[in-house]
Amino acid sequence: MTPPKSQVMRSPRTVDLAVTNRCNLRCTYCSHFSSASEAERDLPIDEWLHFFEELNRCAVMNVTLQGGEPFCRPDLPELIDGIVENRMRFSILSNGTLITDDAAAHLAGTGRCTSVQVSIDGPTPRVHDSFRGTGTFDQAVNGIGHLRDHEIPVAVRVTIHRQNVDHLDEIARFLLEDLGLPSFSTNAASHFGLCREHTEAVQLTVADRTQAMETLVRLKQEYGNRISATAGPLAEAERWAEMERARLEGMDRLPGGGSLTGCGCTTSKIAVRADGVIVPCILISHIELGQIGRTALQDIWTYHPDLNKLRRRQEIPLEQFAFCRGCDYIKFCTGNCPALAYTTLGDVYHPSPDACLRRFIAAGGRLPEVIL
Amino acid sequence: MSKTIKYHVRNPDIVFREEFDDWAILFDPDTGNVFGLNPTGALAWKMLDGTTSVKEIAEAMMRLFSNVPEEAPAEIMQFIDELVERGYVGQDVTTP
Ligand code: SF4
Ligand code: SF4
Repeated sequence: MTPPKSQVMRSPRTVDLAVTNRCNLRCTYCSHFSSASEAERDLPIDEWLHFFEELNRCAVMNVTLQGGEPFCRPDLPELIDGIVENRMRFSILSNGTLITDDAAAHLAGTGRCTSVQVSIDGPTPRVHDSFRGTGTFDQAVNGIGHLRDHEIPVAVRVTIHRQNVDHLDEIARFLLEDLGLPSFSTNAASHFGLCREHTEAVQLTVADRTQAMETLVRLKQEYGNRISATAGPLAEAERWAEMERARLEGMDRLPGGGSLTGCGCTTSKIAVRADGVIVPCILISHIELGQIGRTALQDIWTYHPDLNKLRRRQEIPLEQFAFCRGCDYIKFCTGNCPALAYTTLGDVYHPSPDACLRRFIAAGGRLPEVIL
Repeated sequence: MSKTIKYHVRNPDIVFREEFDDWAILFDPDTGNVFGLNPTGALAWKMLDGTTSVKEIAEAMMRLFSNVPEEAPAEIMQFIDELVERGYVGQDVTTP
């Protein structure tokens, strides 16, 4: 299948690398374990280093190291040196618990670390540890301390779930005032990986989501936009409010509205599982595009029919889905994330029911008055 | 007295990325800074190999692009000076 007409870059700008399958924790809502990204083996370092040379030839600018937990790899410093030698910058997604002073010093010494994202889910050990395990709050806060000592930008991510949804004010106060971080981002425990086995205990109900939206929108205003989100209640509140305003004002269309444009990542990004299998996105790890070292990344990027089919997802009109028929939001809706659609329905070529505004309202959900 | 010729050579640490059509960017991984190149800038970058003079680059532009204005050589020189200033290009002065 040929690439779509929309602007696909000549080569990926960013590559997400699951550098290990291992993790020292087993968070109740982990998206990695018990999903297609949970690979059977970790690729040896030589194969990664070889691949970094290929990324250099493809002029890739950034890699994001994730896992599992990247700091579980004892050879992480060598991997990072390989990234640096191949003219790239890097970010790391981490639970923060294994970040020592030495590890932070090494990251800082490269001058190439864009940020380390550390998950903090509560203002206290009791709330944070509820789904991540005893002692993890103190360890993660220590890890953040080491990163900041070495002036590495720390991006804290708060995953909102049923145990912390009542503590969002304290979380914001802790992160922005007590720790004095410049900002943090939020998402929600979603129906991926282990979370699917603990839906009832973990995932927000419609009432929780309504509450989280209201609180986060207020906190974002109070803290002068220092709270952000690309998924979860805050992102939904903002996107859905825009859709609701467009409907009330009788607008013709919103940009990207009316078809499955909810994900543009495949025009600039690609990912690799811990076993070296190239996939469109770590959360769409069941679509296997090739194996590093065996198939040239550039060929996959340009010609792979499954990748080009996924890029053409944005041409699929929402009108063709029985799910969307008669919906007042159809001209404003983008169908949201294909990975979420897949994990719920087993089909990436469908709007995500979890991110459906009509469904949310029908189930009794409300949007925050202040942004309508 | 013979005339000095300046030759310019790309800094190998700078990443040249062709993105859409003939547009490109230069990426400095040490700073994260990105510098956009239009199609003529992208072609000039490719020719900065340490053996091609500015005059030769300007001549190549005239051949390859239509409507290249008179002041093109001066503009190319200005563009290359900017790259030198940013540390994206080094220069070598040769007196033949
Ligand atoms: S969510 Fe992250 S820290 Fe928790 S078990 Fe999964 S990979 Fe490990
Ligand atoms: S039914 Fe849901 S997913 Fe479909 S257009 Fe309406 S809001 Fe969007």
